[in-house]
Parts: sequence; C-alpha cells; structure tokens
Amino acid sequence: MNLNMRGWTSGWRRWHAAGCALVAGILLAGQTASAATFTTSLDREAMELGESATLDLTFEGGGPSGTPTLPNIPGLNISYVGPSSQFSFVNGQTSSTVTHHFTVTASRPGVYTIPGLSIDVDGTTLSSQPLKLTVAQPQAPSAASINSGSQVAFAKVILPNKDHLYVGEVTSAELEIWLRDDVQNFGNLQLTALPADGFNVGKLTERPRHRTQLGNRVYTVIPVSIALTTIKTGTLTFGPLTAQMVIVLPGANNQGGDPFFRQFFNQGEQKQITLTTDTYSITALHLPGNPPAGFTGAVGHFSMQVSEGPTNVSAGDPITLHVRLEGRGALDAVSLPDFSNWNGFKTYPATAKTEYTDPQGLEGAKTFEQIIAPQNPDVREIPAFALSYFDPDLNQYQTLAQPALAITVHPSGAAAVPSIAATKPATSEAPAAQSDILPVKQELGALRPTGAPLLVQPFFLALQGVPVLALVAAFIWRRRADSLANNPRLRRQRAVAQLVQTGLGDLRKFASENNSEQFFATLFRLLQEQLGERLDCPASAITESVVDERLGALSVPADIINGLRELFQLCNQARYAPVRDAQELAAVAAKFENVSRALPAIKA
Amino acid sequence: MNTRFLLMILALMAGTLGSHAGADVAGDFAAANKLYAEGKFADAANAYERAIQSAGSAGTASAALYFNAGNAEFKLGHLGRAIAAYRHAALLTPRDSEVLGNLGFARNQVQGATVRPAVWQGWFGVLTLNEGTLVTAGALWVWLLLLTLRQLRPALVSRLRGLTLAALVAFVLGGTVLAVQATSRFATQTAVVITGNVLARSGPFDDAQTVFSPHDGAELTVLDRHDDWLQVTDGSGKIGWLPRKVLDLLPGA
Repeated sequence: MNLNMRGWTSGWRRWHAAGCALVAGILLAGQTASAATFTTSLDREAMELGESATLDLTFEGGGPSGTPTLPNIPGLNISYVGPSSQFSFVNGQTSSTVTHHFTVTASRPGVYTIPGLSIDVDGTTLSSQPLKLTVAQPQAPSAASINSGSQVAFAKVILPNKDHLYVGEVTSAELEIWLRDDVQNFGNLQLTALPADGFNVGKLTERPRHRTQLGNRVYTVIPVSIALTTIKTGTLTFGPLTAQMVIVLPGANNQGGDPFFRQFFNQGEQKQITLTTDTYSITALHLPGNPPAGFTGAVGHFSMQVSEGPTNVSAGDPITLHVRLEGRGALDAVSLPDFSNWNGFKTYPATAKTEYTDPQGLEGAKTFEQIIAPQNPDVREIPAFALSYFDPDLNQYQTLAQPALAITVHPSGAAAVPSIAATKPATSEAPAAQSDILPVKQELGALRPTGAPLLVQPFFLALQGVPVLALVAAFIWRRRADSLANNPRLRRQRAVAQLVQTGLGDLRKFASENNSEQFFATLFRLLQEQLGERLDCPASAITESVVDERLGALSVPADIINGLRELFQLCNQARYAPVRDAQELAAVAAKFENVSRALPAIKA
Repeated sequence: MNTRFLLMILALMAGTLGSHAGADVAGDFAAANKLYAEGKFADAANAYERAIQSAGSAGTASAALYFNAGNAEFKLGHLGRAIAAYRHAALLTPRDSEVLGNLGFARNQVQGATVRPAVWQGWFGVLTLNEGTLVTAGALWVWLLLLTLRQLRPALVSRLRGLTLAALVAFVLGGTVLAVQATSRFATQTAVVITGNVLARSGPFDDAQTVFSPHDGAELTVLDRHDDWLQVTDGSGKIGWLPRKVLDLLPGA
C-alpha cells in the first residue's frame, strides 16, 4: 500500500512538474524574450538537530527540463518534496516562476554549506550562490523549568536501573513524552534522531498513556519502549533523542469565558514543537571468562523443554528432537550445542522457529527441531546434553541440563516390511563370496540402440499382422476348396468352362490347319459337354433333338437355339463331307464362340 | 531409380556417422579405463559419463560403459550413483553376472530401508524387454504359421498337432512374461538416492515436515511427481517427497 502511494505520489510529481514546465513554456513562448534567472534559498539559516529546513530552487522565466539534482553533502539528507509554479499577466507581459522544494535534515550537529548549483535551463547554464546552514545540538529543558510546570511539552528517557550491562544483553529504554494539560490535541509525532552508540536499536512500542501531576500542573505521559541490545563494551551513550510533533494549544482570543463552552467553541492554535532529551550513558562489560561447555552465546534467563519422537525406530530412521527455550534475552543469538559428535547417530542441520510473547521482541520462545538418526541397533539412548547461558541479573552462567532419553532401535528393515522391501539383495544378484566389486570391463561390447522398445514400435506391431493375414488367407482358401469338393455340379461347371476355354484354342488351331475332321469332332464334343452341363445330363445324351426338346422348354432365345441347331447340323454334315476350307472353319469356330458365350445364362 | 540411389546414399551416410560415433565412444571408453587404472576415479567417472552421453547422442548405449561408470562411482564412495549405473547396465544385459555381482555388492552397503525387486520379479527380469518381445513374437509366428500350414495341407494336421500346441504354450508363456515386463517397465518407476543427508518431506516444498531420511543408495518407488519433486516410498510404508535432483530415475521396479 505504501509502495503504491509512493509510486502514485512520484508519478503525480512528475506530471505536475511536466505540466508546470509545459504551461510555462507555452506562456513564455508568447512573451517578449527575457533572460531566465535561478536562485536558491533556505527558509532558515540555523536549526537544531532533529528539525528540518526547506530548500527552494526558484526558476523565473524558464526552468530545467527535469527535477534538479543536488549534490550529496555528508551529514545532510536532502529529499525532494515537489514543484510549485506561479504565473502573472501584467500589461500583456507574461511571467512565470517554477520553484522546486526540498526538505533538509541533518544527522549530526555542525555548520553545513550547500554549494552553488549550476543547472541547464533552455541551453543556458544558470548558477546559484552557496548557502550556509548551521545545525546546533538541541538542548533539553532544565529540570527547574520542567518541575515548575512551565514547559508545555518535554521528553525524557528512562534507562534500566542498572550499574552496567553485559555484551549481548537485551534491555529496554523508555522514552516518555510529557504534554501539559492545556495541550488540547497533538499529532504527527515523529522521532527525528535516535543516537545509540553501542546499542542495536530494536522495536519501538507505544505503551498505555497515563496522567501525572508535576508541580501544580497535570501532564499526559506518552511512554514509548525501545528495545536495545548491547553490542560492545565500554561507556555507551544513548541520546539526545529528538522528536517533532504538532500540538494544539488554546487560542489567544479564547482564554476567557466559561470552560464548558470553551471546550466546544475554542478551535485552538496549532504549533509544531521539537522535543529533545538529555544524553545518557551506561557501562557495558565483557561476559565473565571460563564459560561452561554448553555455552553458545545466550545471554538472558531461559528455561528448556525437550521432547523426542519417535522412540521406537529402525536403524537409520530419523528421530526428531524438539528443544524449546523460553525466556527473556536475545533469542536470535541462541543456538543448540553441537550434536555432530554423538556416537552412533547421524545428525542433520537443526531448524529453529522463534515466537515472541512481547511486542518488543525481548521475551518469547525459540523451538529447535533437530533430526538425528541412530545408525545401529546398539544405540539405546539419546545422549544427555546441556545448554548454558549467562544470566546478567545473577552475574553468572547458568546451565540447563537434559538427561539421556531412552530409545529403542531395531535392526534396519526389521519392522514389518512388505515383500518388495528388503535390505538384502536377491540371491541371484550377488555371489555370497564377493568381497569387493569386480574390476572394470576392458571391452566396450556392442552398442545397443536406445530407442523405444520394440513392443511400442508401430512397424513391429504391424509386422505381427503378417502371419495372421497368412492364416486368414489359408483359411479362406481352404473353405473354398472344401466348398468345391462338396458341390459336383459346381465342379463340372468349372471343368466344362476350362474345357471350352481349351477347346476354343484347339478349334482355331484345327481351322488354321484346315483339319476339318478334328475340328468338327472337337466342336461336337464341346457342344455336348457344355449343353450337358447346362441341362445337368450326361454329355453323350446331347443330340440335335435334345436342343429342340429341352432348350425350347426352357424359354431359351431363338437365336441361340438356331445357332446350336446350325452347329449340330454342320457337325453332322461334316461326317459325310468333311472337306472345308480354313475360312469356313474359322467362321464356324467364331459362331461357336458366340453361342458358347450365351450358354451360361441358360438354367435348367 | 533415383529414389533407390538416394536411399543408398542415406544408408551409407547413416552407417558412416554411426561408425564415427562408435569410434568416439570406444576412444572415450579406453581413456576412461586408463584413468581408472591410474586410480583417478573422479576423472574416470567424468570420462565414463562423457562416453555415456556421447553414445546416447548417437542413440546407443553400452552396458560396459555403465558398469565401469558404476565401478568408478563406487570407488568414490558414491553408492547411489554406483547402484544407478549398475542398474542401467542390468537393463541392457540382465544376465551379465559381473553386473549383477557388483549391483548386489553395492546394494549390500546401503543402510536403512530400500525397495528391492521380489524374487519372482528377478525371474521375469532375466530377459530384456526387447528380448521378451522377440521371444513372444517368435512363438506367435511359429504358432500362426503352423496353423496356416494345417489349412494348406490338411493331411499334416495330425503330425503338426504336438508342435502347434507347443508353439501355443510358448506364446502364452512368453506373452505372460512380456505382460509382466511391460507393466513393470511402463507402470512403475524407481528412483535411486544419489546423495547423502537427504530428508523426505511430507509435501513438495522445502519447509514441509520431515517424514524419513533415506540413505545414499536407497532404491525408492516413485508414486507421484509435482514440478521438481517426486513422491516416493521406501517400501516400508513410509511415503515422502524428495527433490528430483537427489534422485536418479530408472524405468521399472
């Protein structure tokens, strides 16, 4: 959310600056040319540490193309606020002023010089004069003025009531902001400086406010706790802390009248004030020498709780050791002793989780999860261990001892294990007498293809269809053969067809040889065989008379009957006058072919 | 004609490239063996790995390469990597007694629970998947061709009856073996833990609670995967998630 707001603000600033520059450019373009000027100014020449000054960069008659960049000045923090612009139109003359505002704060007292700046405006380099800013050490109000009740507001720090601290000790300081009872309201409280030499400053938490009488005035006290960790020895200083806030005091015109009505109608006057504390010092000491063996740097006071589980395991199985340290101190710095030297255990890096019970992060619990794995069934217990810490209140080391914890370790794999799990290899894989690995092979051997297995390769699967197809083809062939064998008429039909086919060749041959006798003998036989097959009677029973009797009854077309009759007559004639020329024989053969082609349509 | 000529050229080129790749692998293999003999096991392991990669890029693999790589890793104390290499070798030559011997020896060094193939699975693993496929296909061809012959020559039916039945039995047995092999190959995946100090967690993320700690070389069955995490079991009922980088994956049980 803050990031979004920051982005939005930054974007608004850029657009604002660009808009100002654009408007200024448009207006300047229409006016009579005049030289641009550039000046810098501070709203004050001196301030106290914790206060801020405003630095303005003013451009008249022009402006830089972007946000001016300021040099880095050690000790000063200069942050850009944004631009503002002003336009005037007097007697036809337009003038514009663009001012870039910066906030200047200091991190330490001193006299600072903001050097003269050189900025390019419309191709011309404009320069400014150096500025001097004096930052003074703030002074806390005197005790007399505080006790007299003359201070509207003041701040003070309360350090722990101790003579000394130890390195690594965590403690808490309290910043108190006192507001007199006539302060009607306050806001925008900001801690502007928090010098803490030798301390690591932690969280700041506001505690419940209370009211306290001081002298003859009543003050509202705003306590703020500051977590501190001592990080070095010697004399440590804390402060002066400075803070700024806006308070509302009764208006000068509303002091009189009835207090009841005044609380409703008095609007008051807002005033920004700076609060400054004194500088405090305290001594920090080294920890005493000869720390105990289990000391890992923990400072504070702690208690320890240990739990483990499971306690009935197989060798190699992990056991989780939970170590919980509760107390007050720098929990982040606490660590477990080194368990890696435990015999019979394999240890893993511990994980830790810290939970604080106070808002400052000074008290809480740190839980370690240490995984250990017993390596053999001879392990009977988790060894005893101790964790030591230094108690700064008692000024001595304390030791938290944890006795040994009994566990039961079974041989690896001795638990109920499914049949697929075993701690010994299959007997077929390892010769019992092998005492070391066998030496390397000296021959590379055949390089085997590493493609997909044959089982999933399409060509291989398709190949398996070949014997299946062969079997199917053979089966079909066998069925047809069997069918033919069981059907005499079909068999005769095929035999006659084959005979006619062969006989036609013979007829053409005999015709070309002018062998009339063989020609007609063959023709007569072919006619008998073909008609006998069609009429389902012996071939020898076929004569010219059968043609008239049987074929006429079957409604055979007359031209076929006539053709057959003619062929039979020619055969009969040839017995008496066998000599014919080759052309006549060829014509007869053609006639037979035509008739023969029509005969299969006849059905008895 | 042109097509046939082009095919011949391509075949020659493929043969030439293949022989070059084989020559490179053989050279790397010899160099790695030399390093191994000199006791430079780390260099030898790297050289074997390069040779394996080189052979793999040519679409080939060598059981001897994996075997020797396993030996180099074993000498380096990398038990899991050695077991993974031996298992890769066993996939290529499942009846190689040296491979099985070293695999068994390395497995004996592994502590803690681990998944091992059952004895019956060992029987089915005597053949490679391709060998099982060819045996089964051969039995199928013989059986079908005998049936075809019986159709063509019915007179031979009585004489071929015994042979046909034997071919059928061979096909059924081969098919059973092949079914088991294929199920193991395609439906099961094994992972070998290749580093020490590994913690299996209850979920596929680093902050999940620790469930168990498999040792280097432990063989685990892969149950599921999520991004770069694999859900595994050590065979004793413990299930956890391990990062992919600490495992070497192998097909089959």
